Amino acid sequence: MRNLRFRNTSLRLLLVIGLVGVPLNLALGHEGHHAECDNTTLNAVQADIQAMVQGEAKTTATKELAAAQQLMAKNDIEGCKSHLHSAMEATEQ
Amino acid sequence: MNGASRLWAPLAGTLLAFTVVGAAAVYSGLYNIAADVPHTQPIYWLLETARDRSIAVHARDIEVPSNLSDPNRISRGAGQYAEMCSGCHLAPGMKRTELSRGLYPRAPELRRKSSLTAAEQFWSIKHGVKFTGMPAWGVTHDDDLLWDLVAFVRKLSELTPEQYESLVKNAPTHEEVMQEMGGTHQHGDKN
Repeated sequence: MRNLRFRNTSLRLLLVIGLVGVPLNLALGHEGHHAECDNTTLNAVQADIQAMVQGEAKTTATKELAAAQQLMAKNDIEGCKSHLHSAMEATEQ
Repeated sequence: MNGASRLWAPLAGTLLAFTVVGAAAVYSGLYNIAADVPHTQPIYWLLETARDRSIAVHARDIEVPSNLSDPNRISRGAGQYAEMCSGCHLAPGMKRTELSRGLYPRAPELRRKSSLTAAEQFWSIKHGVKFTGMPAWGVTHDDDLLWDLVAFVRKLSELTPEQYESLVKNAPTHEEVMQEMGGTHQHGDKN
């Protein structure tokens, strides 16, 4: 009985660690991508794109940045962040 | 009014108008030179084209040494690169630095293959590039050391992070190379 209670507590603890750990890992995984949707970040990504050589990655990054800028103008911050993140991914290809 | 005056008067007027507008634009301070606000695409293209053409023209008569694939050259270049260049131009397996993120225009990431020829790379390293943050390393380094750097940079895009680390670890340090340069080389401006 005591063993069973200990096992349940351990499982709950593992579950809590897992739930806390997943978002933390995701956040750390994208440590380099501060996809804050503001003018500073949009400008920084635009500067990165300007320095890219012509190719598929540059085209993708340019489109994603344009989408992010449009959504920012519409005050859709979450949508802007998502496209900005995709633009950043493309600049690193 | 004769024929020649009829032709030149509008041209002179247009030229004067451009000069006045240009001077007004410069003196008004309206153009933002902050490094965190990119140029518009036409201005970026203009500056980039001017830069690329200038490098190509100035580098066209430079004689490239035949031993750029010499492992000793590459090894000496590795140590120099890690010390002098990697902060801005990065390296295989290296995360972007604060410096590389803040420079405008961005320093090219040399782990990606460069479109410049060896002579163009040498010229850029030696003389630097105005308005980019690229210093003229020829002021403090002789041509032989700069060719070592070129030899290494041309190899860089083929290296894995482990190979890069290993090359840098086994390379002569920057101090050693500079001491050697002071003892055996003469500073000169050959190219």
